[in-house]
Amino acid sequence: MTNIIEVSQLTKKFKLQKPSSGLKSFFKPEYKNVTAVDRISFDIKKGERVAFIGPNGAGKSTTIKMLSSILYPTSGTALVNGLVPWDNRKKLAYDIGTVFGQRSQLWYNLPVQDSFALMGKIYDLDEIPFKRRLSKLVKLFEIRDLLEHPTRSLSLGQRMRCEIVASLLHKPQILFLDEPTIGLDVTAKEIIRNLIKKQALEEDTTLLLTSHDTDDMEKVCERVIIINKGKLIFNDSISALRDSYLNKKYIEVTTENGEKIKTVVNTKEKPAKQAIDELVKKYHVTDMTIENPPMEEIIKEIYNRG
Amino acid sequence: MAARFLKLCKLFLFIQKSNIKTAFLNKADALINVIMMTINNLSFAFMWWVIFENKGSVNGWQFGEMALLFAVMNNAFATFALFARGIQLLPEYIDNGNLDNFLTTPKNSLFLISTSESTFANWGDYITGFLMYFLSGYVNWKSFWMMMLCSFLAFILLYSFRLIMSCLAFIISDSQRLGDNIFMALLTFASQPASIFTGWYKVLFLTIIPAGMISFYPVNLIKAFNWEDFLALTIGISIFWLSSLLFYHWGLKHYSSGNRFGVR
Ligand SMILES: Nc1ncnc2c1ncn2[C@@H]1O[C@H](COP(=O)(O)OP(=O)(O)OP(=O)(O)O)[C@@H](O)[C@H]1O
Ligand SMILES: [Mg+2]
Repeated sequence: MTNIIEVSQLTKKFKLQKPSSGLKSFFKPEYKNVTAVDRISFDIKKGERVAFIGPNGAGKSTTIKMLSSILYPTSGTALVNGLVPWDNRKKLAYDIGTVFGQRSQLWYNLPVQDSFALMGKIYDLDEIPFKRRLSKLVKLFEIRDLLEHPTRSLSLGQRMRCEIVASLLHKPQILFLDEPTIGLDVTAKEIIRNLIKKQALEEDTTLLLTSHDTDDMEKVCERVIIINKGKLIFNDSISALRDSYLNKKYIEVTTENGEKIKTVVNTKEKPAKQAIDELVKKYHVTDMTIENPPMEEIIKEIYNRG
Repeated sequence: MAARFLKLCKLFLFIQKSNIKTAFLNKADALINVIMMTINNLSFAFMWWVIFENKGSVNGWQFGEMALLFAVMNNAFATFALFARGIQLLPEYIDNGNLDNFLTTPKNSLFLISTSESTFANWGDYITGFLMYFLSGYVNWKSFWMMMLCSFLAFILLYSFRLIMSCLAFIISDSQRLGDNIFMALLTFASQPASIFTGWYKVLFLTIIPAGMISFYPVNLIKAFNWEDFLALTIGISIFWLSSLLFYHWGLKHYSSGNRFGVR
């Protein structure tokens, strides 16, 4: 299998003007460099579904913007479907779809179907294949009832389904999703996740998805890349991520007067048996559960280490 | 190359069709707006007619010259407002990061930005433009085609100048108002009899605030074609056009895609 995305030493620095007043700052403004993305390298194979996670300000959006040809990097290179994104904007556009949860690519005042029609023209889709493609996506994403509504009247969840359809109209090989589930309720998140995954499996679409919800990552993706403060700190399968933290166990015991006591045990330092013995000796245990740490905890710990 | 251009033309027609469709959702409203715009323009022209009736001429310009100026100016502005007004929104797109949407498509981003806004009422400017030409007293086929060509060139100048103003947003944030004001200044200068600008004012008028390329050269050329003025005009406009494109592409390299929340 070949790499569809290759990123090498990619770096982006932003120049921020220091806020100071007076004429001096007008003529000789002072700048502060912010390194948003710091020499990251990774590859993604065709058809892979990769979660791209990290705390706020880690550089996820900035990376996605470079890969989707919006931003020029400060240094380093990238190849997306064999093209250097920022040098091949128009050509690359046919290969990629982008969805930014915090922005809309639909025309605010136009009915959703007019936005789609305009997209179809912009991507040179012929009438008949376009109609066929659209009706397939409309069915899959269940947006038939929304087509006549202007974008501004849609709820966040409805809009997100339309946004994803818009990004898929030209059948891109690669889909960049930057926080597609932001602000959605539990059910809407679940729906979006399932749709994204179903669609990707069906068309062998390569996914790069960012999210602050670990469920998005676990339910949609096979691999996870974690960055923190612009640096890549983890790049492996999701099961490998879990395994590397399996020596932590969460033990919860219930005592006879209904009190619940939680403890975390590192089985490397203390065998599980010893921990359980201690608990049993100390309390009159009526019930007990032993669990692996939730993904949230694992991620939190990685962030704190990085 | 030719095929790509044809596709762009098709997209252009599609966008214009949907603009007209949108405007005609309320036909009466659309027509009233066009008529009001025409009346507004004509009353401005009428004011100048009164002035010329009383004063005779201003440094050699009479109402006929003024009418030619209004013809070029209104036609150029109509073309701008109907087909390229979106460029006025570029600072907003830059500030709130919506420029992203235009950069990830397979079409020329400037084309999509320019056609993203259109004001139907400005069809009234075309009505005024042609009416003023026919009232100018310089009507013949040769002058007609020259008027059409100059209107197009003046449109290119307006567009380039506005693009340069809009690109300031790549450097300064919240520059929308500044750009709007300087653009208004250009339009105001261009609506005066070009003959009042002499000496250093004339130099200014043909360079930094290039209003003379809308008024001075076109009026001369429509009255009587001459190569000197024609070359000065086409070279001057080409310089503005090229600089505006260079500025835009320079800007894209420095675009930082801000995160101010918003929708297209
Ligand atoms: N347009 C910009 N100008 C200046 N600095 C920026 C700009 N965009 C991002 N940054 C800075 O770059 C860093 C990375 O930002 P980025 O938006 O990529 O983070 P992120 O991982 O997407 O975070 P979040 O999860 O909050 O969306 C941050 O420190 C941010 O302040
Ligand atoms: Mg982000």
